[in-house]
Amino acid sequence: MVVSRSCSSPRNTIASYRSITKKKIVFLCLLLGILLITILIGLAVGASSLDLSSVFSALMREDGLARSIVVELRLPRITVAVLAGWGLALSGAVTQAILRNPLASPFTLGVASGAGFGAVLGILMGHGLHQWLIASSAFGFALLTSFFILLVAQLKNVSSETMILAGVATMFFFSSLTSFVQYLGTMEEVHEITFWFFGSLSRAGWQEIGVALLMIAPPTPLLMKWAWSFNALMAGDESAKTLGVNVWRIRLGGILLASLITAGAICFTGIIGFVGLVAPHIARMLVGSDHRFLLPTSVLLGAILVVNADTLSRTLWVPQVIPIGIVTSFLGVPFFFYLLMKRRRDYW
Amino acid sequence: MTLNKVLSILLILLCTVSGRLKAKATTQIVVDARGRSVQIHCPIRRLVSLNEDSLEVIRILHAQNLVVGVDNRIPGRPFFWPVLKNRPTVGKWNEPSYERIAILHPDLVLSYGNRPGLELEKKLGPLGIQVLRLDFYKMLSMPREIKTLGMLLNREREAEIFLKWYHRKLDLIQDLIKKDPHQPRIYLESYSNYHALGPSSGGYEMGVLAGGQNIASHLSIPYPEVTPEWVLTRNPDVIIKTVSSMAAYRSGNPETLRKIRDRIIHRPGWRNIRAVKTGRVYVMESDICAGPSAIIGIAYMAKWFHPRQCSDLNPEEIHRQYLEQFQGVAYRGIYVYPNEH
Repeated sequence: MVVSRSCSSPRNTIASYRSITKKKIVFLCLLLGILLITILIGLAVGASSLDLSSVFSALMREDGLARSIVVELRLPRITVAVLAGWGLALSGAVTQAILRNPLASPFTLGVASGAGFGAVLGILMGHGLHQWLIASSAFGFALLTSFFILLVAQLKNVSSETMILAGVATMFFFSSLTSFVQYLGTMEEVHEITFWFFGSLSRAGWQEIGVALLMIAPPTPLLMKWAWSFNALMAGDESAKTLGVNVWRIRLGGILLASLITAGAICFTGIIGFVGLVAPHIARMLVGSDHRFLLPTSVLLGAILVVNADTLSRTLWVPQVIPIGIVTSFLGVPFFFYLLMKRRRDYW
Repeated sequence: MTLNKVLSILLILLCTVSGRLKAKATTQIVVDARGRSVQIHCPIRRLVSLNEDSLEVIRILHAQNLVVGVDNRIPGRPFFWPVLKNRPTVGKWNEPSYERIAILHPDLVLSYGNRPGLELEKKLGPLGIQVLRLDFYKMLSMPREIKTLGMLLNREREAEIFLKWYHRKLDLIQDLIKKDPHQPRIYLESYSNYHALGPSSGGYEMGVLAGGQNIASHLSIPYPEVTPEWVLTRNPDVIIKTVSSMAAYRSGNPETLRKIRDRIIHRPGWRNIRAVKTGRVYVMESDICAGPSAIIGIAYMAKWFHPRQCSDLNPEEIHRQYLEQFQGVAYRGIYVYPNEH
């Protein structure tokens, strides 16, 4: 379904605009419905043979094995999947807008690698015991990376392509640091760190979810509020300034919040690549570049993608779990190429 | 002691040493951990070991004097390796420095079957350095591999003495567990959380030899990540988590192991697992889960799996004998939690 249309007649501009807006709102509701269905499917399938009715009756009961499986194992896992998809897609969309570059994402800018390195340090220092230590260390390094990229941009007034290049270099730097820690680590630490490279939703419980939610949810409405400013930024800094946008404030605030969200999304799940880059592109192909719709669509698509990937990862090869990072790519890349071939080439 | 007696003893010692030094140059064909027939030119006078399992075997064979290079973990455990701690290091067990090995110019490099990859032979072969891959951590092939190394190092007698002791202990355990008609269902977890010890991992073989029925026996990967939900539904009677702190030998405090156990017990939903309900959740250090010392791990497992039949089995005593008789170091350290007597 494609709801982005250009107005064919100037006389019908307002009516056409309202119609498109209405369609986009309906589309958003549809995506929300798909996400809810996806969540229900995720709740209903797993290593044990619990069907949907057993799931509902388990939710009603106060204790028992079925309730433990649904409430303590499947529900937190799905919640983490929603949060990770939401966070990565949103920070991807925001970064792409701020840098006006389709290649920008928490991963290509090195922010995710910085956060990953921070989280690994947090794990090793706190022996995996302190959620806040892991989260704050992840956020600290994500922020450090973002500021470094911004500093490069500000001092040298470089193009967004150069910023991406700086980001890719930073990504390799932090990946190497993580590998170095892994190289020096004990067998146990090596195993812990390896999980970062593949991503896993098994480890996060309700406590970790609470921490991640605090890092992802509060910045979201603020970024949504800046949707107009992001639209203006897409037209260029000069145009944005003419429209009264404080470019530096939006860029700095945006990158700060995107870093916080990225750190929240990956600090307990490891690296789930691809979602942050591609979910916003898929959203853009479906609803266009108006960030009022692009941001919520990216969030919903990211969540749908990760929840579906998780359901497949734990049910395709029961009881073994295929790492989530692998499945998101298997699912998302073909869909992305399908849209890319089907849609016009100049959608960006 | 008379002068004659002293001279006789010295003569015997001299003959033994010179016999070993003047060992004939021969070529032996042995089977390595990959199942390949490998030609090894003897005598072996200079040896590099890339892992601790083979070093323990070397110590059993009284061949420490042949070791000219060790992996980089050895200096970090000076209490356990008082003699070898100062030997030159050649890098990580799975990524050694070929240059360092080349400088040491050993006759033989000992490594695991799979890692490092085959580049090890490709790089060292042209330099005239032989490579032998032996997986001493696999219980089923370990006795044969100890014999192989004993033969190559001209230490058959030492190998035989250890294997006799080993089989005596293993037979004792087997006899005890045979008395129990019930095979408990067990979940063995590797160092990484939710990664089971599946078939062809060393820990899996230990569980089988200790009379447990591994819930991951039908899986195809040695260390698969499994869902917590699956473990919950398989409802194991015993859970064993393996850890690798590298500090077990000098540790005198079980606090770290206790914390790890607590975290397992408090995993979401796991209070419904029989092992958690009955308190049969154990943590075991890697020191006794691999290599020739795995017999100690098997003894602990047997005791946990069949407490009534193995009530008189004393894993600590087996451990003491192993360390003092075959490793030449004093018995100490904390290796399991809880350690019920």
